[in-house]
Amino acid sequence: MAATESTKDRLHGTLDALVLKTLSWGPRHGYAVARWLEDTTQNAIQIEEGSLYPALYRMERKGWIEAEWGTSELGRKAKFYKLTTRGKRQLKLETTEWAEFAQAVSVVLVPTA
Amino acid sequence: MATLGRTRRQLASFLWKASVEDEVDAELGFHVEMRTRELVARGMDPAAARAAAEARFGDIRAVNAACRSIGNQRERDMQRTEYFGELAHDVRFAFRQLAKAPAFTAVAVLTLALGVGATTAIFSAVEAVVLRPLPYPQPERLAIVFTSWKGRDGSVSAGDFTDWRKRSTSFADIAAVNLKGVTVAQGDSPDRVTGAEATAGFFNVYGVKPQLGRVFTADEDTPGRDNVVVLSDGFWHRYFAGDREIVGRTVTLNQRPYTVVGIMPASFDPTDSHEQLWMPAAFTPDRIAQHDEHYFTIVARLKPAVSLAAAQREMDAIAKQMSVEYPKTNAEGGVHLQPLTETIVGDYRTRLLVLLGAVTCVLLIACGNVANLLLARGAARSKELAIRTAIGAGRARILRQLLTESMVLSLFSTLLGLAIAWGGIHVLIGAAPASIPRLAGTRIDGWVLLFSLGLAVASSVLFGLVPALRAASGNLQASLREGGRTAVASARDRIRGVLVTAEVGIALTLLVGAGLLIRSAIYLNKVDPGFDTRGVLSARVALRPTDYKQGGEEAKQSFERIVAELKNRPGVQAVAVASQAPLGPGGGSNGLIPEGSVMDIAHAVDARLRMVSPGFLATMKIPLIAGRDINEQDIAGGIRVMVVSASLAKALWKGDNPLGKRVACCEGAPDDPKWKTVVGVAADVRSRGPTVDVAPEFYLPMAQAPAEAWSWINRTMTVVLRARNGDAAALTPALRAAVRSVDPTLPVYNVATLQAQLGDSMAESRFHLMLLTTLGVVGLLLAAAGIYSVIAYFVTLRTHEIGVRMALGATPAQIVRLMTWQGLRPVIAGAVLGALLATWATRLLQGSLYGVSANDPLTFFAVTAVLLLVALLATIVPARRATAVDPTTALHG
Repeated sequence: MAATESTKDRLHGTLDALVLKTLSWGPRHGYAVARWLEDTTQNAIQIEEGSLYPALYRMERKGWIEAEWGTSELGRKAKFYKLTTRGKRQLKLETTEWAEFAQAVSVVLVPTA
Repeated sequence: MATLGRTRRQLASFLWKASVEDEVDAELGFHVEMRTRELVARGMDPAAARAAAEARFGDIRAVNAACRSIGNQRERDMQRTEYFGELAHDVRFAFRQLAKAPAFTAVAVLTLALGVGATTAIFSAVEAVVLRPLPYPQPERLAIVFTSWKGRDGSVSAGDFTDWRKRSTSFADIAAVNLKGVTVAQGDSPDRVTGAEATAGFFNVYGVKPQLGRVFTADEDTPGRDNVVVLSDGFWHRYFAGDREIVGRTVTLNQRPYTVVGIMPASFDPTDSHEQLWMPAAFTPDRIAQHDEHYFTIVARLKPAVSLAAAQREMDAIAKQMSVEYPKTNAEGGVHLQPLTETIVGDYRTRLLVLLGAVTCVLLIACGNVANLLLARGAARSKELAIRTAIGAGRARILRQLLTESMVLSLFSTLLGLAIAWGGIHVLIGAAPASIPRLAGTRIDGWVLLFSLGLAVASSVLFGLVPALRAASGNLQASLREGGRTAVASARDRIRGVLVTAEVGIALTLLVGAGLLIRSAIYLNKVDPGFDTRGVLSARVALRPTDYKQGGEEAKQSFERIVAELKNRPGVQAVAVASQAPLGPGGGSNGLIPEGSVMDIAHAVDARLRMVSPGFLATMKIPLIAGRDINEQDIAGGIRVMVVSASLAKALWKGDNPLGKRVACCEGAPDDPKWKTVVGVAADVRSRGPTVDVAPEFYLPMAQAPAEAWSWINRTMTVVLRARNGDAAALTPALRAAVRSVDPTLPVYNVATLQAQLGDSMAESRFHLMLLTTLGVVGLLLAAAGIYSVIAYFVTLRTHEIGVRMALGATPAQIVRLMTWQGLRPVIAGAVLGALLATWATRLLQGSLYGVSANDPLTFFAVTAVLLLVALLATIVPARRATAVDPTTALHG
């Protein structure tokens, strides 16, 4: 991800990173991803649940994740997403970038003792 | 991994037939439903829970659309990747398969490469000569305007041209041009080059600008101001080393000073005659009044809105007016417009297209052979293909893969074929007579590459499709069980038989064509030209117009001195001069009116004039049928005499004795016809070589020729001398020395033996013969190879059956007979088919045949016999192998 990306891309990138992270613990369907994001961030990040899906489709097209129809907990057919090797690489990259970004911002905002 | 993913996806789509749209709907619906359930579980009422779930989701329709769009894009990406992935896989697989069978690959590639190479080479010649547009702007608007008289097109008089130019409105520009020899002063050895006199609009008609300087103006195209010249690029480089300062300087041509005004570009060769320079025609009032002497070629450019037909109609009307205005010269005279391309390309279009057709036949035979090889391989591979089918490869998939193999094979062959074509073009240009226009421009360019690529694709489908269809539709179980030994064998036999039939049919057509040309060549070599070419040397000698102005006397004396000088040289048996010698250049024709006829052009018979010195007929050994040769007593002021050719005598007097009859020609007026008395009848000669029929001719003594006749022939005569010992070429130094001793500034050129000229006159038909015979033989050999491989295959296929027959007591001779008959059946069918095809196809050769009809039964018979003999050989060799089958092995196997 280049440094010149727009805010929208940064937002996309952040959402992508969160989703990839979610999937790094194992395959889940879209609703489960949304639920997990809700729980872990304790609703700190308010996203429209709907925007999750285009992100999933985009990442599937990029080859970061793979989809497969399976059976959900309730015995219904659901589409399960799974991290690919390329997706794992991407997650690592996003994590590093985010850490660097956060570091840079906190240097300015949080004066060290 | 990719394969597995693909299989799973295919399986999924097969089971659920889920489109991207359905998937998106299901996925988003699942989400909303799960959320609703969760909210209900927390105690909300279902309706409110659903509303809340939808609210949390956001704009469901927008999300749905976005997902569908991304999903569909992904689907397309995958299809593309998959397609190219499969293609790459197929190509790699094809390479492996071809590498695994090097003998098959080598034979197939070589066969095809020969076919593609030869076809490409001939096509590139067709492209250069026929298809490539002439190098002028809007070449389709250029036309040649002929005078037509009694259905024959001819040159145009200065008077007619001037009137046409004045009266016509169809042409943007119209110009007259006349090629003539020009003497270039070069130190003390004068050079003779082909130049042209042209009227001012000439360059404008072609629309070509000079690369340097300018062309001459209408003002300079008038007598007295006409001492300007435009040079060709070649002349400029040869004589002035491309010096740009030459424009404005003076050169001496025909003993007169000319100012160079411009240089044309190298590509400018307007009449395809390689003329080196152009000077103004500068018509004098005398010439403009002259409607009788026809020697100009007229070129014209049609106005943008005017069609050729419209221009023809206008010229017809003008010709009609003129035939009334000049009844003496223009009665019955017409005008004919012909597109310039047609004039230049002419007959060569048909000849080259016939060649292209022939070479395509060879390619077809090659494709037939490769199809045969593929069928045999298909049989050998049927087990492999059956396994692939069994593990889930679809028929279409296998077909695609087999066609990819054919395509790879074909493209390979095309690469090699292009190399062959490249070499072939060089051989072609080297072997071709120089007279074929534009052939030297033959090269492999974009069009040719496109053509050969097209050939590659077409031929791969042609030879690959049937074997691939056959292989892909093979009976799965039968193939697996029997290892492809006898499965679908009978169907395959039929296809193979059809292939052999087609190959033999095509080969026979080719061979009949070649056979007819061979018979023509035999005829041409036997044809009596009417004179003895052996031991005769000829050369053109041109007098200067400036020094030989006073009538004909001076010119006549110069040539008489040259003859006298040569007569005494050792080794010279006989010598004479003539305005035109058979096989040589020069000469014109005149209208002759026999005494007793109405003195008007409509009653004239056109005949070629030959002004000769005494003893010309004897020197050439042209037999006298009656009367006497022209001799020393036929002098100016004496009784005017002429010798006519046999065909002219017949045309003028039917069966009557021509001796003593009188004829008006070439000079005089109705009230003073200057009668010439026929004193001799000479045998007909083929003046343009064996390929051109005899035409009426007459001989006038040079001493009695009208003064203006010397300007008709540009004061240029051909010296012919017969060597005492038969070695004509050895007389060249003597000839040059003799002319030099008379006048050292006279150019001697076109020095050649008649024997060599006779060869040249047949060069084109020999070239045509060589090409078509080569193609015929290649076709025959390829067809023989095809027959051989099919019979060999039959034998292998029927080893078992042969074993049974032998075990049951069949003799080897019976086996050979059986197999031979089996092999010959499709051959005989092919021969019948080919004979029918040839009857139609040989009509296209009509123009190249001499002394033999296009349906000559002897040729058909002989060629069919040769073909059947070759086929029999190709059949018997593998058939005899059948008798070597050991019954026990065959039965156990």
